[in-house]
Amino acid sequence: MSCRSPIDAARLADYWIFAANGPDEDAIEEHLFACDECGTRLREVIALADAVRRVAREGSLRMIVGDAFLRRVAQDGLRVREYASAPGDSVQCTVTADDDLLVSRLAADLSGAARVDLSLCDERGVEQQRLEDIPVRAGAAEVALQESITRAKSMPSETMIMRLVAFDDAGRERALGEYTFHHTRSMP
Amino acid sequence: MEIAPTDAELVVRIGSGGDREAEAELYRRMAPRVRLYGLRHLRDAAAAEDLLQEAMLTTLVALRKGRLREPEKLASFVLGTCRLMVWGERRGASRKEMLLEEFGADLPAASAPPTPLLDGERLLQCLRNLKERERSVVVMTFYDERSGSDVAGFLGVSEANVRVIRHRAIQRLRECLGVEA
Repeated sequence: MSCRSPIDAARLADYWIFAANGPDEDAIEEHLFACDECGTRLREVIALADAVRRVAREGSLRMIVGDAFLRRVAQDGLRVREYASAPGDSVQCTVTADDDLLVSRLAADLSGAARVDLSLCDERGVEQQRLEDIPVRAGAAEVALQESITRAKSMPSETMIMRLVAFDDAGRERALGEYTFHHTRSMP
Repeated sequence: MEIAPTDAELVVRIGSGGDREAEAELYRRMAPRVRLYGLRHLRDAAAAEDLLQEAMLTTLVALRKGRLREPEKLASFVLGTCRLMVWGERRGASRKEMLLEEFGADLPAASAPPTPLLDGERLLQCLRNLKERERSVVVMTFYDERSGSDVAGFLGVSEANVRVIRHRAIQRLRECLGVEA
Protein backbone atom coordinates (compact mmCIF):
# COMPACT_ATOMS: atom_id res chain seq x y z
CA MET A 1 0.00 0.00 0.00
CA SER A 2 1.31 3.43 -0.90
CA CYS A 3 1.98 5.89 1.90
CA ARG A 4 -0.48 8.79 1.90
CA SER A 5 1.79 11.19 3.80
CA PRO A 6 5.39 10.19 3.06
CA ILE A 7 8.17 11.62 5.18
CA ASP A 8 10.97 12.94 3.00
CA ALA A 9 14.56 11.82 3.38
CA ALA A 10 15.78 15.13 4.81
CA ARG A 11 13.27 14.96 7.66
CA LEU A 12 14.17 11.34 8.26
CA ALA A 13 17.83 12.36 8.37
CA ASP A 14 16.94 14.91 11.07
CA TYR A 15 15.27 12.09 12.97
CA TRP A 16 18.29 9.80 12.53
CA ILE A 17 20.77 12.39 13.85
CA PHE A 18 18.50 13.46 16.72
CA ALA A 19 17.90 16.88 15.15
CA ALA A 20 14.10 16.55 15.05
CA ASN A 21 12.27 18.30 17.87
CA GLY A 22 10.28 16.27 20.41
CA PRO A 23 6.78 16.40 18.89
CA ASP A 24 8.16 15.84 15.39
CA GLU A 25 10.25 12.92 16.63
CA ASP A 26 7.19 11.32 18.25
CA ALA A 27 5.13 11.83 15.09
CA ILE A 28 7.86 10.32 12.91
CA GLU A 29 8.19 7.29 15.17
CA GLU A 30 4.47 6.66 15.20
CA HIS A 31 4.42 6.93 11.42
CA LEU A 32 7.37 4.54 11.04
CA PHE A 33 5.60 1.95 13.15
CA ALA A 34 2.74 1.94 10.68
CA CYS A 35 4.50 2.55 7.36
CA ASP A 36 7.11 0.30 5.79
CA GLU A 37 7.55 2.59 2.78
CA CYS A 38 8.97 5.34 4.99
CA GLY A 39 10.89 2.69 6.93
CA THR A 40 12.60 1.75 3.67
CA ARG A 41 13.44 5.41 3.07
CA LEU A 42 14.94 5.65 6.57
CA ARG A 43 17.07 2.58 5.79
CA GLU A 44 18.33 4.41 2.69
CA VAL A 45 19.23 7.42 4.84
CA ILE A 46 21.08 5.15 7.28
CA ALA A 47 22.93 3.53 4.35
CA LEU A 48 23.87 7.00 3.10
CA ALA A 49 25.12 7.98 6.56
CA ASP A 50 27.21 4.79 6.80
CA ALA A 51 28.65 5.32 3.32
CA VAL A 52 29.55 8.96 4.04
CA ARG A 53 31.30 7.79 7.22
CA ARG A 54 33.32 5.25 5.22
CA VAL A 55 34.26 7.80 2.56
CA ALA A 56 35.29 10.33 5.21
CA ARG A 57 37.51 7.75 6.92
CA GLU A 58 39.20 6.94 3.63
CA GLY A 59 40.41 10.55 3.40
CA SER A 60 39.64 10.73 -0.31
CA LEU A 61 37.64 13.93 -0.11
CA ARG A 62 39.14 17.35 -0.64
CA MET A 63 37.27 19.48 1.86
CA ILE A 64 37.54 22.11 4.55
CA VAL A 65 37.59 20.55 8.00
CA GLY A 66 37.41 21.79 11.57
CA ASP A 67 39.12 20.89 14.81
CA ALA A 68 36.15 18.78 15.92
CA PHE A 69 36.49 16.64 12.81
CA LEU A 70 40.23 16.22 13.39
CA ARG A 71 39.66 15.26 17.03
CA ARG A 72 37.15 12.66 15.91
CA VAL A 73 39.47 11.07 13.34
CA ALA A 74 42.19 10.94 16.00
CA GLN A 75 39.74 9.14 18.30
CA ASP A 76 39.11 6.70 15.47
CA GLY A 77 42.82 5.94 15.41
CA LEU A 78 43.47 7.53 12.02
CA ARG A 79 46.87 9.06 11.40
CA VAL A 80 46.74 12.64 10.19
CA ARG A 81 49.72 14.26 8.48
CA GLU A 82 49.47 18.01 8.94
CA TYR A 83 51.41 20.90 7.45
CA ALA A 84 50.97 24.39 8.85
CA SER A 85 51.73 27.37 6.69
CA ALA A 86 51.67 31.16 7.12
CA PRO A 87 51.05 33.56 4.21
CA GLY A 88 54.11 33.64 1.95
CA ASP A 89 55.50 30.39 3.36
CA SER A 90 56.99 27.65 1.24
CA VAL A 91 56.59 24.17 2.73
CA GLN A 92 58.29 20.87 1.84
CA CYS A 93 55.78 18.07 2.20
CA THR A 94 55.16 14.40 1.50
CA VAL A 95 52.92 11.51 2.53
CA THR A 96 53.80 7.95 3.48
CA ALA A 97 51.90 4.68 3.35
CA ASP A 98 51.06 5.00 7.06
CA ASP A 99 49.20 8.28 6.66
CA ASP A 100 45.40 8.16 6.60
CA LEU A 101 44.59 11.83 6.11
CA LEU A 102 46.46 14.87 4.83
CA VAL A 103 45.63 18.33 6.16
CA SER A 104 47.08 21.73 5.30
CA ARG A 105 46.56 24.46 7.89
CA LEU A 106 46.61 27.88 6.25
CA ALA A 107 46.99 30.76 8.70
CA ALA A 108 45.10 33.90 7.69
CA ASP A 109 43.36 36.95 9.04
CA LEU A 110 39.77 36.13 8.20
CA SER A 111 38.19 39.09 10.00
CA GLY A 112 35.67 41.06 8.01
CA ALA A 113 35.37 38.45 5.27
CA ALA A 114 31.81 37.89 4.10
CA ARG A 115 32.98 35.08 1.86
CA VAL A 116 36.27 33.23 1.43
CA ASP A 117 37.45 31.28 -1.62
CA LEU A 118 40.41 28.93 -1.79
CA SER A 119 42.17 28.91 -5.14
CA LEU A 120 44.34 25.88 -5.97
CA CYS A 121 47.03 26.67 -8.54
CA ASP A 122 49.86 24.91 -10.30
CA GLU A 123 53.52 25.81 -9.85
CA ARG A 124 53.14 28.78 -12.26
CA GLY A 125 50.28 30.16 -10.19
CA VAL A 126 47.63 29.28 -12.76
CA GLU A 127 44.37 28.41 -11.05
CA GLN A 128 43.35 24.77 -11.50
CA GLN A 129 40.39 24.68 -9.13
CA ARG A 130 38.56 27.12 -6.91
CA LEU A 131 36.73 26.10 -3.75
CA GLU A 132 34.07 28.79 -3.51
CA ASP A 133 32.53 30.13 -0.33
CA ILE A 134 34.37 27.76 1.96
CA PRO A 135 33.14 27.39 5.53
CA VAL A 136 35.06 29.65 7.90
CA ARG A 137 34.28 30.28 11.53
CA ALA A 138 33.99 33.90 12.64
CA GLY A 139 37.19 34.85 14.40
CA ALA A 140 39.13 31.83 13.17
CA ALA A 141 42.80 32.38 12.42
CA GLU A 142 43.24 29.61 9.89
CA VAL A 143 41.62 27.40 7.28
CA ALA A 144 42.22 23.65 7.41
CA LEU A 145 42.06 21.88 4.05
CA GLN A 146 41.93 18.11 3.85
CA GLU A 147 43.54 16.97 0.62
CA SER A 148 42.68 13.61 -0.93
CA ILE A 149 45.21 11.22 0.58
CA THR A 150 44.71 8.73 -2.25
CA ARG A 151 45.58 11.42 -4.78
CA ALA A 152 48.55 12.62 -2.71
CA LYS A 153 49.93 9.10 -2.44
CA SER A 154 49.82 8.59 -6.17
CA MET A 155 50.89 12.03 -7.43
CA PRO A 156 54.42 12.76 -8.65
CA SER A 157 56.70 15.30 -7.02
CA GLU A 158 55.24 18.70 -7.83
CA THR A 159 54.56 22.17 -6.52
CA MET A 160 51.12 23.45 -5.65
CA ILE A 161 50.21 27.02 -4.73
CA MET A 162 47.15 27.79 -2.63
CA ARG A 163 45.62 31.25 -2.39
CA LEU A 164 43.02 32.39 0.08
CA VAL A 165 40.83 35.20 -1.18
CA ALA A 166 38.26 37.13 0.87
CA PHE A 167 35.26 39.11 -0.34
CA ASP A 168 33.61 41.82 1.74
CA ASP A 169 29.89 42.64 1.76
CA ALA A 170 30.34 44.89 -1.28
CA GLY A 171 31.97 42.04 -3.23
CA ARG A 172 35.45 43.58 -3.10
CA GLU A 173 38.20 40.99 -3.32
CA ARG A 174 41.16 40.90 -0.93
CA ALA A 175 44.09 38.47 -1.00
CA LEU A 176 44.55 36.81 2.39
CA GLY A 177 47.66 34.81 1.63
CA GLU A 178 49.57 32.61 -0.75
CA TYR A 179 51.00 29.28 0.39
CA THR A 180 53.38 27.11 -1.59
CA PHE A 181 53.66 23.36 -1.08
CA HIS A 182 56.51 21.39 -2.63
CA HIS A 183 55.34 17.82 -2.62
CA THR A 184 57.96 15.10 -2.82
CA ARG A 185 56.79 11.68 -3.80
CA SER A 186 57.98 9.22 -1.20
CA MET A 187 56.07 6.12 -2.19
CA PRO A 188 57.13 3.74 -4.93
CA MET B 1 -4.75 -11.43 -4.57
CA GLU B 2 -4.50 -12.27 -0.89
CA ILE B 3 -5.32 -9.39 1.41
CA ALA B 4 -3.10 -9.10 4.48
CA PRO B 5 -4.96 -9.10 7.78
CA THR B 6 -5.25 -5.77 9.56
CA ASP B 7 -3.39 -5.19 12.79
CA ALA B 8 -6.66 -5.51 14.69
CA GLU B 9 -7.45 -8.85 13.04
CA LEU B 10 -4.00 -10.14 13.99
CA VAL B 11 -4.50 -9.13 17.61
CA VAL B 12 -7.86 -10.90 17.78
CA ARG B 13 -6.51 -14.04 16.13
CA ILE B 14 -3.48 -14.25 18.43
CA GLY B 15 -5.65 -13.57 21.48
CA SER B 16 -7.95 -16.43 20.58
CA GLY B 17 -4.98 -18.75 21.02
CA GLY B 18 -2.82 -21.05 18.99
CA ASP B 19 -2.81 -19.13 15.70
CA ARG B 20 0.84 -19.55 14.74
CA GLU B 21 0.28 -18.08 11.31
CA ALA B 22 -1.00 -14.83 12.82
CA GLU B 23 1.96 -14.74 15.21
CA ALA B 24 4.37 -15.19 12.33
CA GLU B 25 2.65 -12.38 10.41
CA LEU B 26 2.88 -10.14 13.48
CA TYR B 27 6.59 -10.80 13.60
CA ARG B 28 7.13 -10.22 9.87
CA ARG B 29 5.25 -6.95 10.11
CA MET B 30 6.66 -5.49 13.30
CA ALA B 31 10.21 -6.83 13.52
CA PRO B 32 11.71 -4.52 10.85
CA ARG B 33 10.08 -1.51 12.51
CA VAL B 34 11.36 -2.45 15.96
CA ARG B 35 14.82 -3.08 14.53
CA LEU B 36 14.91 0.39 12.97
CA TYR B 37 13.78 1.95 16.24
CA GLY B 38 16.54 0.07 18.04
CA LEU B 39 19.19 1.09 15.53
CA ARG B 40 18.23 4.71 15.84
CA HIS B 41 18.14 4.81 19.63
CA LEU B 42 20.87 2.33 20.52
CA ARG B 43 23.25 2.93 17.54
CA ASP B 44 24.32 -0.68 17.65
CA ALA B 45 23.07 -3.59 15.54
CA ALA B 46 23.51 -6.19 18.28
CA ALA B 47 21.71 -4.05 20.84
CA ALA B 48 18.93 -3.44 18.31
CA GLU B 49 18.57 -7.21 17.86
CA ASP B 50 18.31 -7.62 21.65
CA LEU B 51 15.61 -4.98 21.79
CA LEU B 52 13.81 -6.64 18.89
CA GLN B 53 13.76 -10.00 20.63
CA GLU B 54 12.60 -8.63 23.96
CA ALA B 55 10.00 -6.25 22.53
CA MET B 56 8.48 -8.91 20.29
CA LEU B 57 8.37 -11.44 23.12
CA THR B 58 6.68 -8.93 25.41
CA THR B 59 4.17 -8.09 22.68
CA LEU B 60 3.47 -11.72 21.94
CA VAL B 61 2.90 -12.55 25.60
CA ALA B 62 0.58 -9.55 26.00
CA LEU B 63 -1.45 -10.49 22.93
CA ARG B 64 -1.75 -14.14 23.87
CA LYS B 65 -3.11 -13.08 27.23
CA GLY B 66 -5.55 -10.65 25.61
CA ARG B 67 -4.06 -7.62 27.33
CA LEU B 68 -4.37 -5.24 24.40
CA ARG B 69 -7.86 -3.77 24.84
CA GLU B 70 -7.84 -1.74 21.63
CA PRO B 71 -6.64 -4.14 18.94
CA GLU B 72 -6.40 -1.41 16.29
CA LYS B 73 -3.65 0.21 18.39
CA LEU B 74 -1.18 -2.62 17.93
CA ALA B 75 1.52 -0.41 16.34
CA SER B 76 1.25 2.12 19.18
CA PHE B 77 1.49 -0.70 21.69
CA VAL B 78 4.68 -2.08 20.13
CA LEU B 79 6.19 1.42 19.88
CA GLY B 80 5.30 2.09 23.52
CA THR B 81 6.90 -1.19 24.52
CA CYS B 82 10.09 -0.23 22.68
CA ARG B 83 10.16 3.20 24.28
CA LEU B 84 9.75 1.74 27.75
CA MET B 85 12.55 -0.69 27.15
CA VAL B 86 14.96 1.90 25.84
CA TRP B 87 14.00 4.60 28.33
CA GLY B 88 14.06 2.17 31.23
CA GLU B 89 17.73 1.33 30.59
CA ARG B 90 16.88 -2.35 30.36
CA ARG B 91 14.69 -4.15 32.78
CA GLY B 92 17.36 -6.48 33.92
CA ALA B 93 18.50 -9.73 32.48
CA SER B 94 16.22 -11.85 34.66
CA ARG B 95 12.97 -10.80 32.96
CA LYS B 96 14.49 -11.23 29.55
CA GLU B 97 15.80 -14.67 30.40
CA MET B 98 12.42 -15.69 31.82
CA LEU B 99 10.67 -14.57 28.63
CA LEU B 100 13.21 -16.28 26.42
CA GLU B 101 12.97 -19.52 28.40
CA GLU B 102 9.19 -19.59 28.30
CA PHE B 103 8.49 -18.29 24.81
CA GLY B 104 11.81 -18.01 22.98
CA ALA B 105 11.21 -21.07 20.83
CA ASP B 106 8.02 -19.47 19.50
CA LEU B 107 9.81 -16.58 17.83
CA PRO B 108 10.35 -16.95 14.11
CA ALA B 109 13.92 -16.52 12.92
CA ALA B 110 14.79 -12.85 12.60
CA SER B 111 15.46 -11.83 9.05
CA ALA B 112 16.69 -8.31 8.49
CA PRO B 113 15.36 -6.37 5.50
CA PRO B 114 18.07 -5.90 2.90
CA THR B 115 20.28 -2.90 3.56
CA PRO B 116 20.52 -0.69 0.48
CA LEU B 117 23.96 -0.86 -1.09
CA LEU B 118 25.62 2.34 -2.19
CA ASP B 119 28.36 2.55 -4.78
CA GLY B 120 31.28 4.11 -2.87
CA GLU B 121 32.92 5.59 -5.97
CA ARG B 122 29.69 7.14 -7.12
CA LEU B 123 29.02 8.57 -3.67
CA LEU B 124 32.51 10.06 -3.65
CA GLN B 125 31.78 11.76 -6.96
CA CYS B 126 28.42 12.97 -5.71
CA LEU B 127 30.04 14.40 -2.58
CA ARG B 128 32.60 16.20 -4.76
CA ASN B 129 29.77 17.75 -6.74
CA LEU B 130 28.29 19.36 -3.65
CA LYS B 131 29.07 22.93 -2.69
CA GLU B 132 31.77 23.33 -0.06
CA ARG B 133 29.38 24.10 2.76
CA GLU B 134 27.02 21.29 1.79
CA ARG B 135 29.89 18.78 1.81
CA SER B 136 31.09 19.97 5.21
CA VAL B 137 27.59 19.77 6.66
CA VAL B 138 27.02 16.25 5.33
CA VAL B 139 30.34 14.95 6.61
CA MET B 140 30.03 16.66 9.99
CA THR B 141 26.48 15.37 10.30
CA PHE B 142 27.04 11.76 9.36
CA TYR B 143 30.68 11.09 10.18
CA ASP B 144 31.18 13.35 13.09
CA GLU B 145 27.55 13.36 14.30
CA ARG B 146 27.95 16.98 15.35
CA SER B 147 24.94 18.84 16.68
CA GLY B 148 23.33 21.61 14.67
CA SER B 149 24.88 24.27 16.92
CA ASP B 150 28.38 22.83 16.46
CA VAL B 151 28.00 22.80 12.69
CA ALA B 152 26.52 26.30 12.79
CA GLY B 153 29.55 27.55 14.74
CA PHE B 154 31.93 25.97 12.25
CA LEU B 155 30.12 27.41 9.25
CA GLY B 156 29.43 30.78 10.79
CA VAL B 157 25.68 30.53 10.07
CA SER B 158 22.51 29.96 12.12
CA GLU B 159 21.23 26.51 13.09
CA ALA B 160 18.22 27.09 10.86
CA ASN B 161 20.58 27.69 7.95
CA VAL B 162 22.47 24.49 8.75
CA ARG B 163 19.19 22.62 8.55
CA VAL B 164 18.40 24.16 5.16
CA ILE B 165 21.89 23.34 3.85
CA ARG B 166 21.66 19.78 5.20
CA HIS B 167 18.25 19.17 3.63
CA ARG B 168 19.40 20.54 0.27
CA ALA B 169 22.59 18.48 0.37
CA ILE B 170 20.78 15.24 1.19
CA GLN B 171 18.32 15.86 -1.61
CA ARG B 172 21.14 16.53 -4.08
CA LEU B 173 23.03 13.44 -2.95
CA ARG B 174 20.01 11.23 -3.34
CA GLU B 175 19.28 12.62 -6.79
CA CYS B 176 22.91 12.11 -7.78
CA LEU B 177 22.77 8.53 -6.48
CA GLY B 178 19.60 7.90 -8.42
CA VAL B 179 17.34 7.57 -5.38
CA GLU B 180 14.07 9.46 -5.29
CA ALA B 181 14.36 12.54 -3.09
